[in-house]
Amino acid sequence: MPSDHAQDLMAPPAGGVIHDRGYRRYEGPRLGRAQIARGLCWHSLRSAFGIGRGPKAKIIPVIVAVTMCLPAVVNAVAVARGNPPVVFYGTYLFPLRTIAMMVFVAVQAPELVSRDLRSRVLPLYFSRPLRRGDYPAAKYVAFVLACLAMIEIPLVLLYLGTIVSAKQGHGIWTQTGELAGGLGVGLLWAVLLAAIGLALASLSARRAYATGSVAIFFFLTWTLAGIIYSVAGHSAGPGPALATSGQRLAGLISPFTVLDGIRQWLGGKSPGPIVAPGGYGAAYAIMFVVLLAASMGILAARYRKAAEQ
Amino acid sequence: MTTSAEGAVIETEMLTKRYPGNITALDGLTVSVAPGITGLVGANGAGKSTLIKILLGLLTPTKGRAKVFGHDSELHGERIRTLIGYMPEHDCLPPDVSATEFVTHLGRMSGLPATAAKERAAESLRHVGLHEERYRQIGTYSTGMKQRVKLAQALVGDPRLLLLDEPTNGLDPAGRGEMLDLISRIGTEFGISIVVASHLLGEIEQICDHLVAIEAGRLLRADSITSFTETSRVLIVEVEEGAQRLADELSRRGLDPRAKQQRVLLRLDGDVTYDAVRDAVADLGLPLGRLQQRRHSVEELFRDAGEPAYATTEAMQATEVSDAV
Repeated sequence: MPSDHAQDLMAPPAGGVIHDRGYRRYEGPRLGRAQIARGLCWHSLRSAFGIGRGPKAKIIPVIVAVTMCLPAVVNAVAVARGNPPVVFYGTYLFPLRTIAMMVFVAVQAPELVSRDLRSRVLPLYFSRPLRRGDYPAAKYVAFVLACLAMIEIPLVLLYLGTIVSAKQGHGIWTQTGELAGGLGVGLLWAVLLAAIGLALASLSARRAYATGSVAIFFFLTWTLAGIIYSVAGHSAGPGPALATSGQRLAGLISPFTVLDGIRQWLGGKSPGPIVAPGGYGAAYAIMFVVLLAASMGILAARYRKAAEQ
Repeated sequence: MTTSAEGAVIETEMLTKRYPGNITALDGLTVSVAPGITGLVGANGAGKSTLIKILLGLLTPTKGRAKVFGHDSELHGERIRTLIGYMPEHDCLPPDVSATEFVTHLGRMSGLPATAAKERAAESLRHVGLHEERYRQIGTYSTGMKQRVKLAQALVGDPRLLLLDEPTNGLDPAGRGEMLDLISRIGTEFGISIVVASHLLGEIEQICDHLVAIEAGRLLRADSITSFTETSRVLIVEVEEGAQRLADELSRRGLDPRAKQQRVLLRLDGDVTYDAVRDAVADLGLPLGRLQQRRHSVEELFRDAGEPAYATTEAMQATEVSDAV
């Protein structure tokens, strides 16, 4: 018998199977739909930062994260030297945050949705216990969390860097209140930008097109808002109090200025890229809801179609 | 651990699916599929993929209903999908991950906890015959290896039913044979019921216990392969010359042969037929090239029952395809 055994081991693989121990059934516990969706969410969150992918996939997330954290560090140094703070919780550094998030969303949203569309892997998800809406929902939650991390972590750093130099408890208390407001604004940013990014990216299976469409949408609307804002400002008097209606409404065109309009409408004090919307504040809130609902609608329709194909 | 013999794996009742634009994909399909390996055959566009989507609970039927293991597809799609492994027809693999990572991830999506997903992914890949290659990126795989990964991901969640849509698509003849062997092994040794959708009838009949044929969304015929083929088998006699003389001689001996070029086809009724052929060939002194029994090609199952299947040219061509007996 031992020689037979040795012969078995030396025998060339028959039918491509060497040591087939036979098929074993799985008798262990099975996770429910909610846990599977959570697993997909976690998997997507990792891929939003390029984790579990090659080194190339990590370049943009790292650059954006460093860029976003830099102002907090500069501010900490400035405050430690006794200078007034240079960065505010509500706006952070608005142009920098806008550009950094444009890049992050445009590059990483396709990572979450276009890859699966391109490799046509969706039927494999839809043939599993997940429901049709679970896939886009998991992707959305994951991307909101990823955007939140990009926006909120620098704010927390900003807070920590500031309170280290704070002399009295009162200063810390004020800072904490402002941080809370800033985190709230950051949440609005994450919720809206993730939705727009995924919706636009899901329309194209080609990554380059997906990134392009997100970037073009953000950049065009941003530029357009700026042009209309400055044109409408020609007839305006000096100071925000005398801003024209055109100026107050121009911000509705770009998601980024919509977000800042809401911030100012909700009482944010630090100066933003646009004048306070004044009486048009509710219009900014409505625009926020419209943009969010439209993006969700596109996502839902996109995956309803995908599930039936 | 096989499914109970009396319980049907799949049952549909007057299942109808119409798409917008009045396109009818399924038209009152009523069929029952028993445990084992079942071939779902039909031309492209016959409604095979629509049926699969409905069984998975991804499409809502316009009329009628479908049940998988007794669960209604419309109401309990989620439950059904825990019991099914699905291998789509088209390419569905990302090129830039390894087979191990991919199948593990899909194992988790099937509801396996992390460790179990890893173990079962390794096992599934081993079962389909992928060994060291499984750590390589899928983009570097051959078509045959990719088909195996697709099968492994269907198997990873330990399903009770596999739905395989055109599993031999894009494979060369050797690859087709290997894939069919694999499917046959999974069906017989693993105790998993399998529905194989295919438009290649000759292929399907080699591995299936049952057959469901649909055309234009209607049931053409559902039957077990053995019960059908036992009743009528065909004997092929190939002679290098004198096929017509042999046919005449066999007619004199009370058989009903058809001569086609160098071949004589006749209905096989046990040893009597063999004896008659032997005697006729010996008496005429003909050079016998081949004597072969074959089952009815599946294509003939669906042809008009009144016409002797082996008399048609198409049957001759089918013979040549399914010669490997």
